[in-house]
Amino acid sequence: MNSEFKQIITVYKKSKLAVAAFFIALILMVLAFTGPYIAPYDPVEINLSQRFEPGFWEGNTEHILGTDNLGRDMFSRIIAGARISLSVGYAVIAITAVAGMFIGLVSGYFGGVVDIVIMRFIDILLAFPPLLLALVIAATLGTGLDRAMLAIAIIYIPSLARIVRGSVLTVKEMPYVEASRAMGGGNIWIILGHVLPNVITPVIVYLTLLLGDAILYTAALGFLGVGIDPSSPEWGAMLSGGKDFLILGQWWITVFPGIMIFLAVLSFNLFGDGLREAVDSKLRL
Amino acid sequence: MTLYKYFIKRLALTIPTLIGVSIIVFLLIHMIPGDPIDIMMGDRITDEAREAMREILGLDLPLHVQYWQWFTSAMQGDLGISIRSSQPVFQEILDRLPATVELTLVALFIAVLFGILFGVTAARHRNTIIDQSMIGFSLLGVSIPIFWLGMMLIFFFSVMLGWLPVSGRLSMGTAIPSLTGLYLIDALLSGNISGFVDALKHLLLPAFSLATVSLALVVRVTRSSMLDVLSEDYIRTARAKGLRERKVVYVHALKNAMIPVVTVIGLQLAKLMGGAILTETVFSWPGIGRLLINAIGFRDYPVVQGVVLFVAFAFIFMNIIVDMLYAYLDPRIRYE
Repeated sequence: MNSEFKQIITVYKKSKLAVAAFFIALILMVLAFTGPYIAPYDPVEINLSQRFEPGFWEGNTEHILGTDNLGRDMFSRIIAGARISLSVGYAVIAITAVAGMFIGLVSGYFGGVVDIVIMRFIDILLAFPPLLLALVIAATLGTGLDRAMLAIAIIYIPSLARIVRGSVLTVKEMPYVEASRAMGGGNIWIILGHVLPNVITPVIVYLTLLLGDAILYTAALGFLGVGIDPSSPEWGAMLSGGKDFLILGQWWITVFPGIMIFLAVLSFNLFGDGLREAVDSKLRL
Repeated sequence: MTLYKYFIKRLALTIPTLIGVSIIVFLLIHMIPGDPIDIMMGDRITDEAREAMREILGLDLPLHVQYWQWFTSAMQGDLGISIRSSQPVFQEILDRLPATVELTLVALFIAVLFGILFGVTAARHRNTIIDQSMIGFSLLGVSIPIFWLGMMLIFFFSVMLGWLPVSGRLSMGTAIPSLTGLYLIDALLSGNISGFVDALKHLLLPAFSLATVSLALVVRVTRSSMLDVLSEDYIRTARAKGLRERKVVYVHALKNAMIPVVTVIGLQLAKLMGGAILTETVFSWPGIGRLLINAIGFRDYPVVQGVVLFVAFAFIFMNIIVDMLYAYLDPRIRYE
């Protein structure tokens, strides 16, 4: 482990809240990975003879978080939901990172007409309210988790591309870039070898702060029933399905998935904040 | 540069963005896989009717001609006809606009008023239990899914306590003469106090849910900005002069602490517009967000296209207004 990394961890550990958030996030990730092995029931199996069963608060040991309007086990669905939310979240980050960095590097490094065209296009994308853009893209692409990932990533790609482009503009004027070019380095060599390593820190900070937000947007699309199958055990879709039964008193169908979204978003936000502060303090040293 | 000239310049810079936004909205709807008529009508129509419809919708023309026709009519307020209701799309939007505007304005009011109040209180009582709980509140506020919060509020205040209505804008049998379409104002103008109370009761839960995220952010920024300002020399001078603490905080400090707060409030527009779509869905609030989600569900693409274009344009123009506000508050911006 190198000393920079150690330093960041030391600063991070000073914030109790950030440490707690890290462990909650870790538990969620473990849940997502081991979900199918620990879930007691099939999350999509319908069992109409066991509809609306309350959970442990009424002594139910078979379905500890109760069952929903189709008799599906809430606990199993919530675990399956962790898998969906986290995989969509990570995929959004991966898509954003690759596309945003590529666009930002090309735009900033080559400049000229390419830069002008790309930046105008990014301005146009940023002119939409984010949720509206995700909604209309999800509606266009149709239902499917892979499409929802893409629809959500398009919210963030323009901002990341802008951040990268800004850093590239500074870095490409540095003497070491000029030196590399004088030594006969090609564009790809310079971009990958010199520019990229020097713009990566703001990118990582931006991406860690994005996970909580991406999970929230996933849940929002699921709740609105756009781009995500309403019957899938996605937390937002579960809220939407349970909404009508809340008024009838079957609160557990909406309370538990909501708590999960809240916990996931909160822990990833605190984790991102903590990490950013730790990295910033390292940069200040 | 005068404010007027700055406004003209800012407006001119917006034109390419507006055209770009309209092209994207147009193309997105055309990128939907499959024949749009099949998607909209299913198998319900004959081949003759299909061809007739293709001609009516102009789908037999080249793409750029279609775009130009659509864009020029849109600029004249003709956004096409809804497939579901057979009403002009623009009329459908105008009918629902006041509900969304009322909800968003009240939410913004709650966020700004309480946000500043809580933020200042937290800064004045730094590192006390009051400050800690305000920080805690704002931390929770930015992470809570507002659609879930809305449901929990319904469960608590409507289902369990029975204090507030579950959904809608007015109770059955309550009528308010439509002047502005904003029920609170209409009720006041027509002297209908019971109507005002009814509209307010319906508005409270959705407006509070929608306000939460922005409220939390305003608290956070007001607190930190206020803490910065309170440590300035001129505040010490004001205190040394023997001014009352209340006056120092609310008159001397608050004014300077407001600049970052105004920035954050301006940035909330996009959040509130997105949040309105979610809040309207939770509370069956008959606004533009509901119109959009229903239209997506019914594949009523003229309405989807019309609403997205309308909201995106409205968002761009509101951003211009916010920029104008900055330019007014901070004249340095005009000379950049």
